[in-house]
Amino acid sequence: MNKKSESPAAVPWDPVTLEVFRNLFYSVAEEMGVALCRTSFSPNIKERRDYSCAVFDGEGHMVAQGEHMPVHLGSMPLSVQAAIEHTSMGPGDMVAVNDPFCGGTHLPDITLVQPVYLEGDDKPTFYVANRAHHSDVGGMSPGSMPLSRSIYQEGIRIPPVRIVKEDQVDADLMALILANVRTPTEREGDLTAQVASNRTGARRLGAIAGKYGVDVVVDYMHHLQSYAERMTREAIRAIPDGVYEFEDCLDDDGQGNGPLPIVVTLTIDGDEARIDFTGSAPQAEGSVNAIYAITLSAVMYCFRVIVPFAIPSNYGTLQPLEIVAPEGSLLNARPPAAVAGGNVETSQRIVDTVLGALSQAIPGRIPAASSGTMNNLTLGGTDPRTGAAFAYYETIAGGMGARPGSDGLDATHTHMTNSLNTPIEALEHAYPFLVRRYEIRRGSGGSGRFRGGNGIRREIELLCPGQITILSDRRLNPPYGLDGGSPGRTGRNILIEGGVELEIPSKASVWVQQHTTISIRTPGGGGYGQSPPDEPPESD
Amino acid sequence: MARRIIGIDTGGTFTDFVLMDGGEITVHKEPSTPDNPARAVVSGFRRLLGTDPVEVVHGSTVATNALLERRGSRAALITTAGFEDVLTIGRQTRTSIYELDVEKAPPLVPRERTFGVAERVGPQGDVLETLDLEQLPGLVRSLLELEIDSVAVCLLHAYANPAHEVAIRSAIEAEVAAFITASHEVLPEFREYERCSTTVANAYVGPVMASYLADIGEHLEPDRVRIMQSNGGIVPLSAAQRRGVQTILSGPAGGVVGGFEIGRTAGFDHVITFDMGGTSTDVSLSPGHISRTAESFIGELPIRLPVIDVHTVGAGGGSIAFRDPGGSLRVGPRSAGAVPGPICYDRGGEEITVTDANLYLGHLSSRHFLEGAQELLIDPVTEALSRFAADLGLAPETAAEGILSVANATMERAIRVISMERGFDPRDFTLVCFGGAGAMHAADLARNLGIPRILVPQAAGILSALGMLLADYVRDYSQTLLLSLHGLDPTVLEMAFVELEKRAHHEYKEEGFATERILTERSLDMRYVGQGFELNVPMDGDLTEQFHQRHQRRYGYSDPNRPVEIVNVRLRAVARTEKPSLPHDEIVGEDASDAVLGEHEMVFAGERYPACLVARSKLSPGNQLAGPALVVEYSTTTVVPPDFHCQVDRWHNLILEPTGLRSPRRAEDVGEVR
Repeated sequence: MNKKSESPAAVPWDPVTLEVFRNLFYSVAEEMGVALCRTSFSPNIKERRDYSCAVFDGEGHMVAQGEHMPVHLGSMPLSVQAAIEHTSMGPGDMVAVNDPFCGGTHLPDITLVQPVYLEGDDKPTFYVANRAHHSDVGGMSPGSMPLSRSIYQEGIRIPPVRIVKEDQVDADLMALILANVRTPTEREGDLTAQVASNRTGARRLGAIAGKYGVDVVVDYMHHLQSYAERMTREAIRAIPDGVYEFEDCLDDDGQGNGPLPIVVTLTIDGDEARIDFTGSAPQAEGSVNAIYAITLSAVMYCFRVIVPFAIPSNYGTLQPLEIVAPEGSLLNARPPAAVAGGNVETSQRIVDTVLGALSQAIPGRIPAASSGTMNNLTLGGTDPRTGAAFAYYETIAGGMGARPGSDGLDATHTHMTNSLNTPIEALEHAYPFLVRRYEIRRGSGGSGRFRGGNGIRREIELLCPGQITILSDRRLNPPYGLDGGSPGRTGRNILIEGGVELEIPSKASVWVQQHTTISIRTPGGGGYGQSPPDEPPESD
Repeated sequence: MARRIIGIDTGGTFTDFVLMDGGEITVHKEPSTPDNPARAVVSGFRRLLGTDPVEVVHGSTVATNALLERRGSRAALITTAGFEDVLTIGRQTRTSIYELDVEKAPPLVPRERTFGVAERVGPQGDVLETLDLEQLPGLVRSLLELEIDSVAVCLLHAYANPAHEVAIRSAIEAEVAAFITASHEVLPEFREYERCSTTVANAYVGPVMASYLADIGEHLEPDRVRIMQSNGGIVPLSAAQRRGVQTILSGPAGGVVGGFEIGRTAGFDHVITFDMGGTSTDVSLSPGHISRTAESFIGELPIRLPVIDVHTVGAGGGSIAFRDPGGSLRVGPRSAGAVPGPICYDRGGEEITVTDANLYLGHLSSRHFLEGAQELLIDPVTEALSRFAADLGLAPETAAEGILSVANATMERAIRVISMERGFDPRDFTLVCFGGAGAMHAADLARNLGIPRILVPQAAGILSALGMLLADYVRDYSQTLLLSLHGLDPTVLEMAFVELEKRAHHEYKEEGFATERILTERSLDMRYVGQGFELNVPMDGDLTEQFHQRHQRRYGYSDPNRPVEIVNVRLRAVARTEKPSLPHDEIVGEDASDAVLGEHEMVFAGERYPACLVARSKLSPGNQLAGPALVVEYSTTTVVPPDFHCQVDRWHNLILEPTGLRSPRRAEDVGEVR
């Protein structure tokens, strides 16, 4: 991919129309997001906004993505590519896919791809797609974020298949999917919301083509890709040429293996960058494996944040980047590897590693490490109030790494995620839980001239017997400080039963009795710069 | 005796006064006095009326500014132990995903003035842990030591059972001289962060607002003063003293009420108001009634009270144009503001703004800005624009038109959000525009969105003050229920409404309103079981059916088989005011030549046109203008492009309509998607 792509559009562009189209395509993606978010049923989608919507050209290359989940950046295009390669989508069709080894990321993320055929055309002029994190897609534990050892334990695997045919949802296929999940009514509602979201996007693109003319719209899609490419090249050119190395690690894979190193060699050469992960751990036995799409997203994110202007996230952004992730490694796993946590945990560590390398190249611009884990907590069981099965999944924020000129923010999601919490009062209505504590974990941010943000302490009591699954990291290896700043404090997972506290590992799944409390204390961010000498020591 | 009533609207630059005396209208502008806004209010009032008795409706930005500029009171927060950080954690997100130096607005009450109390109520209002009263004396001591001005009390699930909040309130009330506000009084709805944020905002602005209003009341007779609220209604001064938070978003409310009422009077009851100022633009959609929402923010802070649904975008006349490193022409979000302002203001501005582009294209007259009080300089604009255009590889005119196109794309997007995204077709609406720049951009927007008509009110410069005179008394009440609609006992619902009605009647009665004057409207916030957002449905007819229909309209699908739940009951209690009638005249005739000031060159789509320059003040009802024309007045300029036509109605409003195009195409109909 490491070549300067020629602008594929023949027609010259003008700076005004370019800007107008930049806004237009972005607004289409945002509008799709509004439709999806407000009508869905999974807390992950409706309250936590764990979804993404994007617009693609006729080749399936991304043009614009809404400001949704960064972890979906590089992976949405691969879903569209898989849908194009493996199915034949006619007018009114829509393809669903969640297979990590064929266009997906991890199984809870189901992507719906729709081709947009304009009247009279025999091939699609555009594509739209949206992806949403479903609360449960079956598998060995409620919430489908298990401590698994193979993909087969993680839930229903959906290769690219047509779930909508000529505007009708395929009832047989839907029945098959719903039979494999714990909360089928909710799933059906979410998939319906996804269908509505794509239709919203397709309708808008049709209207835009009608107004401006198809050729102009298609040309400007390409111009916007070239534009994003130019902007990214500008940003890379500003980085001194050289080879920068950095290493970080995941604590373990939840199966007793660890630490798992992630090693990057970053080569900056003019306006291009080579990001080589050779030397990183081989694919793991546990569920922390990242597929290539995740690695791509994480790298894209790192380069996206160093571009000083809001640019569309699209195909062009990727062109100046050459990413090497050896096949069969932690960063490019092969089937039947377990991958549930690669999306949420390993992606964060890839960011820490690449930003670590960039901090050597452009010191003074890159923050210390943020908490580096999404603290994925799943609680499942049978609600004694209704007799219905439930699976509740949430992520808990941590501390943001200190910046070269300011403290890190407390209790904030960073880098690859930005999902909302579920209100306590909503949670206690919907599930048999009692939230005991939800507060800032003071003293967890690393000290320094600028202090790392503090993590969170969140304690939830189960009011019925149930299964608790925690998939987290940075319990052993803390988020790094930079320029003399101290690392953030590592996180802790504690079970409290009858007043007795039991520390459990970073990745654990346990059956518990009624009135057991799970206490999650998330890591703080690293500090930046040397502390002033009179700084008092902090306590947990 | 005819009713005399005066509307007073405090703005950033001017405080506007509109006096209605029978059919007479008198307008006055007084320079605002931001250090103490009451000064301008009182001095303008005296100048206009001396000490004559008159009813006053006042729109104040005191609470808004206290909040935005963080100059509110020294407040404390009392909450459930273990949840003291709810305001800091918020929704645990950052406002911008790709900015490494993103910041978060700090809470209005810092952690050191936040106190956790041991107690716990469950989601059904069941007491899980009784409030230990013995901890209260210590709490009171701490509050006294901290010398706070106000206290917010917000406990988990207090909307379901306020007993603990009530107990804490009375314990503090007895010992601490402070403004006290509890969450179940301000917003008895679930979602703790939003409720807490709203309650704390009330504590933060409450004392500031109360003392300001006391000041105003002293000079203007408190019993005659009404205060404009964010929901578009008014309340007596004493009520506003208790609920300062309800005025926080009242700024744009007067304009929307004014725009809607003027549209309705002129025969158009479906209006989109478009208020484009220097740094931002407010749009609002009124489909036969004024739309409200309970999901608003001020800055980053959620305020979950019903307010007029106004969508704001950060683009206005002062927005700065620049070329980004990728070669794209961008406009905003940076603004030149009033200082240094656009280049043409000659106050040191060096970057090209939307206003400069308008001037360059002849969409603004250099000699008639503020009735000629300030000349706009064209030469430095021409020079800067030539450089800017060369950098982009464009002709200066193309660059100037490009700046307008890019700015208009942002406005267009804002109108799409409030119309098409909510299931409304802009073709059914009239665009009512005001603010300094609204009428310069309206025609382009109308053309792009298929809006068939633009109305530029006679009173565009004082629309907000005028709107206040047309507002009713409005109070909103709500209560979270969270009940499934299926098998719902109707008496439960009835009881909830009766409870709210009792409160409404009681509060109105205390202010001397007869119960017969109060009209109540019942509605429900509903959703499919398991969704996270609600739709508001009026209590009328088949609720389930109504909900499905609204869901279909708003989101494009509905599912009659899916269970529906009631989240909140809402009651709106209205006491209608006697509306002054808007001044109007008889139709005189089509000939507008008396108003023509001369010829003026304007550019549209790359072409230069000789256009008519027209004085708004000289136009009479019935006058007709063919585009291109430029209509100038004190604080507004109206652009009539070549493909538009303008006439003056009986109320002296300008009505612009596209010529030729009888029924504008609907954008959605153009590109057929299979």
